[in-house]
Amino acid sequence: MKTKTNKRFIVAFFFLIVLLNTANCQLPTAGNIFSPQNRLQFGNFLYKDRDYLRAAEEFKEYLKNESNDTIVFRLANSYFKIGLFTEAVDNFKGLFFGSQLSEEARLLFYETIFFRNDYKSLRELADEKNYSSSKFAKEIERLKYMSYFFDNSALPDENLVLKNFPDTVQSRLVNFYQQKKFPQHKSPTTAAILSTFIPGAGKIYTGEVGDGITSLIATALTTYLAVTNFNADHQFRGWLFSGLAAFFYAGNIYGSAASAQIYNARIQFNFNKEVKLFFEQRNYFLPKIDY
Amino acid sequence: MKIRFTAILLLSTFLFTAKAQDHLLIQSDYANNLFNSKQYYDAITEYKRLQFFDSTKTFNYEINYKIGECYKAGAKYDDAVKYFSFAELSARNEDEHFDSKTQIIRTNILRRTTDRALQLCDELEKDQRFNGKSDQINYWRGWAFILADNWEYAAKSFAKINSNHELKILAEQTDKAKVSVTFAKVISYILPGAGAIYSGKILSGLMSIGWNLLSGYWTVNSFIEDRVFDGVVVAELVWLRFYRGAIQNAEEFALEKNLEVSNKSLRYLQNEYKGIKP
Repeated sequence: MKTKTNKRFIVAFFFLIVLLNTANCQLPTAGNIFSPQNRLQFGNFLYKDRDYLRAAEEFKEYLKNESNDTIVFRLANSYFKIGLFTEAVDNFKGLFFGSQLSEEARLLFYETIFFRNDYKSLRELADEKNYSSSKFAKEIERLKYMSYFFDNSALPDENLVLKNFPDTVQSRLVNFYQQKKFPQHKSPTTAAILSTFIPGAGKIYTGEVGDGITSLIATALTTYLAVTNFNADHQFRGWLFSGLAAFFYAGNIYGSAASAQIYNARIQFNFNKEVKLFFEQRNYFLPKIDY
Repeated sequence: MKIRFTAILLLSTFLFTAKAQDHLLIQSDYANNLFNSKQYYDAITEYKRLQFFDSTKTFNYEINYKIGECYKAGAKYDDAVKYFSFAELSARNEDEHFDSKTQIIRTNILRRTTDRALQLCDELEKDQRFNGKSDQINYWRGWAFILADNWEYAAKSFAKINSNHELKILAEQTDKAKVSVTFAKVISYILPGAGAIYSGKILSGLMSIGWNLLSGYWTVNSFIEDRVFDGVVVAELVWLRFYRGAIQNAEEFALEKNLEVSNKSLRYLQNEYKGIKP
């Protein structure tokens, strides 16, 4: 009876040890905390937590030992999110052939080039169609035409640009297209010439009405003071006000030209801001892709 | 038989847990070493790894606190406050609660969100659990006032700790060394340039007096010679310009002087003060 009990005890003991060891091996903390599997788990956690820089490091280490397309995609996307565009492009390219994520990688490849502001390359690559995607062809084409609003390249035909976008935004895009094609700039030369003949007129031409009137009054008054002081035989004061009048006159010509440049820069800045906000609010008409 | 079986089960469970804890302790030491050698970026990574694998949440408070310290050292104050708040939530006793809360106050002081720092100081003061820690609360309240450039209130806060407190004396000296911006402006209304002289800009003040006298003479002279329009225009364009300029300068010089005084004290605190800093 005792031998039978001992046997049962030994079997139970053996079974328990095996069970616990198996369970222990399943723990992430078992063995090396830096093992590829543990790095992958930790990397995925960081990725979901949007800590992309650290996630990329974990994925990179994991991929030294293992091969996994989803993780390569995540690594590339992490680089993309933290602005390491060259590394992102390299990793997306690695998924172009023989991967289930090929189509998504191709779209994100074009997105990366777009967001690193390399619009010329984007258009060239889109035209060459070496890396074209059948699933996201429309999105890539749209990115290509969108890029024209962000740099100084000559705009293609209006219909070509507009046909890639939904009907709901057509009127806004026509407006942007017209603003881009025919910007309402002011000529610095015209502003300077106007101020040469009538002090302050150049400023009024650039929309600075208050400044223009002030300049006119300041120049006229100092000139008048110079004349009256010379007439009263106050030579020093006469020359002092003459100098001031000349200073106001010359300064106004220079200021008018500068004002036209500032006006143009402001128009350009506002346009760029408006366009960026418009596309940003619509996520650049791109689908949300995440694995 | 049952006793032996239970004993083995308990022993195995203990060993099983101990083994897992062992790995976490090694990881904790590794992260602490990185923290101590000021490699804050790597330390955060390792603390986060420890937190991820610490399924029993044994190290939760320490990890959050340390990550908060790393972010604070890297001037990422928003992240630091976030992790100190996590630490506060995972605090296991009153001391840990107080420490994490004071760290939030210190981070708020550094990121110049003084109102929030003062609000948190008030909250701590009202909390009866921390009745014995009023000195520490007043200390950080004083620092909050220092970084908000309110040296008078800083002195009052430090005085509550000790009437001879080093920082109380420094704050008082700084406050006394400052000049009154309003007074500088008012005396400039009466005598243009006086405000600049009061703020320590003697040459500028004397020049201001000179320009005002000269332009005043031109104005009066024009009226005496019956050139009324000349007089009005000179008074408006020249004399009043210098007069207003003197008042504006007085304000600017006074503010500049006060900034110099504050910066001198802040430099002392940064480089020579030995006590705890935010």
